[in-house]
Amino acid sequence: MPAHVTLEPKRFALAIGAVMVGGAVGTLLRDLALELQPAAANRTSWAAQIPWVLLLINAVGVYVATHLLRTVLRAHDPNDPWRLLLITGLLGGFTSYSSLVVSWVAIWHRSVPAGIAVAVGSLGTGVLAAWLGLRRRR
Amino acid sequence: MTLLVTSLAGALGATVRFLMEYVVRRHHPTRRPWATVAANALGSLIAGYVVYRLTSATDASLREILLTGFCGGLTTFSSAFAIPALLQREHHWAYAVVIVVTTPIACVIAFAIGMSLAH
Repeated sequence: MPAHVTLEPKRFALAIGAVMVGGAVGTLLRDLALELQPAAANRTSWAAQIPWVLLLINAVGVYVATHLLRTVLRAHDPNDPWRLLLITGLLGGFTSYSSLVVSWVAIWHRSVPAGIAVAVGSLGTGVLAAWLGLRRRR
Repeated sequence: MTLLVTSLAGALGATVRFLMEYVVRRHHPTRRPWATVAANALGSLIAGYVVYRLTSATDASLREILLTGFCGGLTTFSSAFAIPALLQREHHWAYAVVIVVTTPIACVIAFAIGMSLAH
């Protein structure tokens, strides 16, 4: 399956539709889950800025995406509607890199070492979640 | 209402990311996810601009729609790690590491650029 494929109009419309539906649902789920993030009681504390809920959302997103791409979506090319619905749309919309960067900078403003530590820790959760997703169940 | 618009903005963001990936894939027979890195950086740039531009309490809804919705949909954390994980499995170790390390650096630099554009 060549990676460089131009989709015909009908398949292209289906692709856009799959990404939009997945992206809308994923974003909705993230927005709802973020309600669980406790409001920062102390605005000067960097620890109150740690985005626990987003870190969990992102870790779950990486795990599920890696697992799906290793199992049921393994043979699917990047323009497959199921892959676009679930990986590009749903999990792409569910997880967020930009909100993570917003939190890193908010923490960095309060404590530079803490900002770096939380950023490295965030990347660590991503690597760990991907590693768990790659493991095959026996 | 804000929830619904945020969700639609997320759909729009995800579509922009797909189009970036699609255009790159169409022209370059590559499995390297540089379009995803670019989408994450672009979303971070817009987020930096929005955070420092829309600061008043009356902007709260618009901020949620743009930050949580559009930028959240445009950027992805799942693909930023799942795709390198698969590249690593195919013995493209260096590429996987470069993507995982480059993405946060590109995003923070882009965020700072967005921030400075807002001032």
